[in-house]
Amino acid sequence: MISTSSPNKRVMVGFRTKLLAAMMLVVSGLAALGVYFAQRNVVANTGRDLRQKFQAELSWLHKVQELRNAALAERCRALASKPRIHAALEDNAPDLLYPSAKDELRDLMEGQEPLPAAAANSLHARFYRFLDSNGSVLSAPNPKDVGELDPAVEEQLALKKLPETQQIGYVSESANGADDSIDEVVAVPIFSTETGEVISTLVVGFKPFELESKSESAGMKSGLWVNGHLYLRSLQKSAQNDLARQVRKAIAKRDRAQNFIVQMNGTPHLLFYKRLNPNSAFPAAYEACLYPLTARIAQLHRLRWQIGSAGVLLLFGGFVASNFVAARLSKPVEQLAVDSQTARLQRKRVEAALASTSEKLQRSTRYSADASHQLKSPVTILRIGLETLLAREDLKSEVYEELSTLVHQTHRLAGVIDDLLLLSRMEAGHVEIAAEPVNLSLLIEEWLDDLSAVPDSIDVEIDKNIPPGLNVIGEKRYTSLIVQNLLENARKYNRPGGCIRVNARQNGTHILLSVGNTGRPIPPEAQPRIFDRFHRGGSGSAISGHGLGLNLARELVRLHRGDIRLASSENDWTEFEVSFPVAQSAAG
Amino acid sequence: MDWRGLISLNAVLIFAPIRLCADAVVDGRVSLPKTHAGPVMAKRYEIVTRGGVLSTEPPLAVVYLDGSFSKSALPSIKQVVQKDLAFVPSLLPVQVGSRVEFPNLDDTYHNIFSYSPAKRFDLGRYRPEERPIPSEVFDKPGLVTLRCDIHEHMRGLILVLDTPYFVVTDAAGQFRLTGLPAGHFTLKAWVDSKTTLERSIELKNGEILHVSFP
Repeated sequence: MISTSSPNKRVMVGFRTKLLAAMMLVVSGLAALGVYFAQRNVVANTGRDLRQKFQAELSWLHKVQELRNAALAERCRALASKPRIHAALEDNAPDLLYPSAKDELRDLMEGQEPLPAAAANSLHARFYRFLDSNGSVLSAPNPKDVGELDPAVEEQLALKKLPETQQIGYVSESANGADDSIDEVVAVPIFSTETGEVISTLVVGFKPFELESKSESAGMKSGLWVNGHLYLRSLQKSAQNDLARQVRKAIAKRDRAQNFIVQMNGTPHLLFYKRLNPNSAFPAAYEACLYPLTARIAQLHRLRWQIGSAGVLLLFGGFVASNFVAARLSKPVEQLAVDSQTARLQRKRVEAALASTSEKLQRSTRYSADASHQLKSPVTILRIGLETLLAREDLKSEVYEELSTLVHQTHRLAGVIDDLLLLSRMEAGHVEIAAEPVNLSLLIEEWLDDLSAVPDSIDVEIDKNIPPGLNVIGEKRYTSLIVQNLLENARKYNRPGGCIRVNARQNGTHILLSVGNTGRPIPPEAQPRIFDRFHRGGSGSAISGHGLGLNLARELVRLHRGDIRLASSENDWTEFEVSFPVAQSAAG
Repeated sequence: MDWRGLISLNAVLIFAPIRLCADAVVDGRVSLPKTHAGPVMAKRYEIVTRGGVLSTEPPLAVVYLDGSFSKSALPSIKQVVQKDLAFVPSLLPVQVGSRVEFPNLDDTYHNIFSYSPAKRFDLGRYRPEERPIPSEVFDKPGLVTLRCDIHEHMRGLILVLDTPYFVVTDAAGQFRLTGLPAGHFTLKAWVDSKTTLERSIELKNGEILHVSFP
């Protein structure tokens, strides 16, 4: 168990690490997803809030403009009802137009600098001009009265055609846009009271309303984009030009959102733009508002922290939970690992044992086979030598006796070697018996005849009951060896005047052969080992034998798929029983 | 109605000098633009502007003999009265150098002025009993638009001509110029501020020439 514990621990640690890694992955994924969605939400919310703010400010601007424009329209209606205005316009007296209108429009130009709060409602104009019926600007005889203008700027007020409705435009006070001063101009048609035709247009220039004046939201900058130029006073010129380009690009794209994000001084700003004068005869002008996203960034920062720490907490919780779960989950896994480890080890051990056993077996069978062969030839040489000596006629009778005994012993030795050889071949698996019918009845008769012919046979009576034609499956020489071993034992271990009884009969699929003999029974304690090799059932050395016969017989019977057992051994009677598989009647 | 008297008075004023010194006569008809209004029940003529063109409504024309003639020794004095918030007559041809009086016959203020290049003047506000009657001398030929600064709809025309021979057609466009000198002349018919028709004519003493425009 000690040898298996460290790999088990490694397996366990690996499993837990994997589980933990998976949990961390899931938690990190969740946290990332949370951050992503929260961020999107924040971005959308801020965008919406700022857009609403922008639109609110714009609508305020529009409302103020509407008020002012209504006032201007009223003014123009009043002007149109003035006969002198009509006279100046219709009776070819443009020089008299401004003097005629001067009184009417005096309050437009009056009041030097109105208070900022009043600016919204005041009609404090920077300048005004009339357009003639062709849309060209009528120059004033005395520009001081109507607000002095650069001629190039004055040209910007001209329209291709007199408009029928109010038009809002934005002109730069310097023609090349170098100055960042912008004027909002309102062109108001003057309708003839007589015919209802547009006879002129009054163009009034104002300082544009500034969103900043109302909204004090931190860092918000508003400006105007006119004709490719951006007028955002709080910005540097280069930044203005850069922004102007971006706005132009966005306008050209006709992006419906009408906003984009720009980097300004390292902080992202959301820039909204909206056309101030849709459908105007004047060039398009856009209100552009820059909102710093610092609040949004702070909020995002905060959110990331929150979600991040929530993620860490979750991770920690997950860690604890995973440890718990891993412990619960891994116990059976661990057990499984241990079990399988043990099983594997055991199997290995068994395999190793099996291998070594088989090797040992191989070695021993090879050894016994070699030994048998090596033993047989000296024994044969010894016997031949002894028999040659025995054949000499000048031997004394005692020497002859001695030599005879020696010759007998060599026979015995050869028998042992033969048996050993056969056994070792059987153990090495080299003995295969044929499956052919053998006439057992005949075999027994032959061996009984031989038995009675043995010269040194003691006087025993043979009682046999063998029906003819009993056929077993096997190979004749091995079957005969079994029968010989049994009969020789029955003779060897008999007592003088005893008897041998041989019975054979068919019992179903088997043929049962029993060989019994009188004589000293095998002691009960030796009985279980009588089939072991080199065991002699307690008999003295007076009886020839080498303890291999029964062992050989059993091995052969097993090769025949039969069985051999000691049927009984008591009271002067020892009986063995062998069963052979019967050969089918076709053979018999 | 008073205006009948005034017209006849004008006619007397116009035709009186002519009858003294000429023999030839031109009569005929100016085909006037179709009037948009219905039958003029009140015979009230107005000056209207269409696309910047001034004319009378219903239409009237002034037929005159173009050329340079010696001014009459006596400066003629004509009148355009303000009656019922209108100029009467609404269209008055005068010879250069004529003085036109603008009596106020309404019981309200009027302020007659003109921004026309031919004559710019401003009589200021005056009441009916203003004496002497505010007047102006028209010494440059051309069309003068009369307006009242108080009553924006009031509009009158004075056609200042070099010639002493002129006449206003009737509503049907019929005219008759008498007492004309003999010789080659251009007879012109002023229809509106942008349209003046003309015809070369040969006048002989004691003959009546029939001319139609166009």
